[in-house]
Amino acid sequence: MRIARGVVWVVVAVDLLLILWVFLTSLRGSTDIFAHPFGLPTDPHPDNYGRALDDGGFGRAALNSVLVAALSSVAAVALAAPAAYMLARRRTRTSSVLTMTFAMGLGVPGQVLVVPLFIGLAQVNLTDSLLGLGLVYVGLAMPFTVYLLTGFFSGVPAVLEEAATLDGAGPLRTFLQVIVPVARGGLITAFLLQVIGAWNETLFALVLNHGEDKITLPVALANFVATEQLNGMDWGTMFAGVCLILAPMLALFSWLGTRIIQGMTVGIGK
Amino acid sequence: MATALQDPPAVRGGGRAQPVNAGTSPLERQHRRIFWPFVGPALLVYGVLFLVPIGYAAWTSLYKWDGMGAKHWRGLRNYRILFEDAAFRTSLVNTLEILFVGGAITFAISLALTLVLREMRARLFARSVLFFPCLVNAMVFGIAAGFLFSPDGPVNTVLHWLGAATPPKWLATDNLFPMIVATLVWTATGYYTAIIMAAVDQIPEYLYEAAELDGASAFRRFRHITLPLAWDVISVCAVLWTVSSVKIFELILMYGGSNSSQPPVDTWNTAMYVYAEAFPQTSAPQLGMATAAALVSLVMVGVITLALRRLMRRAAVEY
Repeated sequence: MRIARGVVWVVVAVDLLLILWVFLTSLRGSTDIFAHPFGLPTDPHPDNYGRALDDGGFGRAALNSVLVAALSSVAAVALAAPAAYMLARRRTRTSSVLTMTFAMGLGVPGQVLVVPLFIGLAQVNLTDSLLGLGLVYVGLAMPFTVYLLTGFFSGVPAVLEEAATLDGAGPLRTFLQVIVPVARGGLITAFLLQVIGAWNETLFALVLNHGEDKITLPVALANFVATEQLNGMDWGTMFAGVCLILAPMLALFSWLGTRIIQGMTVGIGK
Repeated sequence: MATALQDPPAVRGGGRAQPVNAGTSPLERQHRRIFWPFVGPALLVYGVLFLVPIGYAAWTSLYKWDGMGAKHWRGLRNYRILFEDAAFRTSLVNTLEILFVGGAITFAISLALTLVLREMRARLFARSVLFFPCLVNAMVFGIAAGFLFSPDGPVNTVLHWLGAATPPKWLATDNLFPMIVATLVWTATGYYTAIIMAAVDQIPEYLYEAAELDGASAFRRFRHITLPLAWDVISVCAVLWTVSSVKIFELILMYGGSNSSQPPVDTWNTAMYVYAEAFPQTSAPQLGMATAAALVSLVMVGVITLALRRLMRRAAVEY
């Protein structure tokens, strides 16, 4: 048992050191990195970040990532919440068929949708557009967000709405002023998980958007690696780009870690 | 990334017993009236951006089409051509290898971690650190591995210090796929450990105390308490793994930092195959083949999910 615990701590330490190493390396010059891979940034190169943001195109891409992730997640939650609420409340055949229909989407791998969505968006001129990519993310988000929120809403006691109805509140008002505030935790969790998903999404981003001012961070990183391979890797700048993808996730996780873990395990763990 | 396949929560208990003549209360009437306005928009978006594309993919998979010119009917012949394609067969075998071999290793480690973590101090901290990699874009690991395992890279430097004269050629084509699976296992274990631990935390402590008094070792406590009581969750995790392992893409695309050309075919899975056929860098797109391959992976997920759910079903243990 003691050995096993030791092993776990070693793995934990390796994970932490890896993050630290990526960050430190992002502050170092390329030749220096290869000569002493584990060295400290004795001669720090914060300009790696400047180069990444400008020449690497990571600046614009970061902005796009923030925009697409935030807006598509807001839209996804705004669409899914009323639907999930009704599906949780009404116990009719239609409602359970629809709940199943949404849940089935959880089993569909993204590669099934990539070709049809590419063709469809091209026909309405929404490829190479942040709006198009955002729409795709909203669509992809539906199964999980509806599933997650249905779980949350079925935990909200129905007495609350009964009281609101007796007080003469209409359905929309009941939903917005009584149900949403009570289920706020669930809505925030759904939003967070969607942001994380959209932030890291690569397949659709890679396929749909190519224009330099339309790409998101993962695509910028892939492009950077591709061009650098031709003229020798600028590792310092590349690790700066990696940090730009990594840092928001790390910040989010150290701030709201428990909520994120709970959200990602809810409905599975009892 | 996070998905959960289970009986839909709406069907689960929750809520109060409904009167027999439900549907006549003001609240019920109100719900009936607003049902479609509330569900409709989400359903519309889901239909247009999700369900219709699946149908379109199925239809496209019956044609030979480069995306620009005319479509040529091929019917199910596309699927035969697909299975005769060596690249697809490699991709399919790799996908299954990730699913079963990678899955077996991931779950073995996750369960071992559960066994250890349950009895450990500062386990919440350890659990969080182990969980974090699943929030990081997998291409970061692919690129980092390209640097860490390069011939003069850090890993070989360390091995050199330790006296290894000829370190393995980590990124040689033959070793690439096992390396990908290993990276995948490393990033996935934290996630599944977190889910299983969430279930384990619900198991009442007195069961463990009683077992301890009876002299059961840590392993036997795991075998006779943890495993049976967390079984339902483990079986859901197996389904979850099936679904997510088939989608793996970024890690393979960027492993070893290779994006100037596509990664070697030996490392492809079906997701990579779909991408390479539909969006090739030099040749003409083969949308029919690509969508056929995508549908094969969809059917595969469906069949394996059903099989897993049947195999792992078991009477629920009450506690």
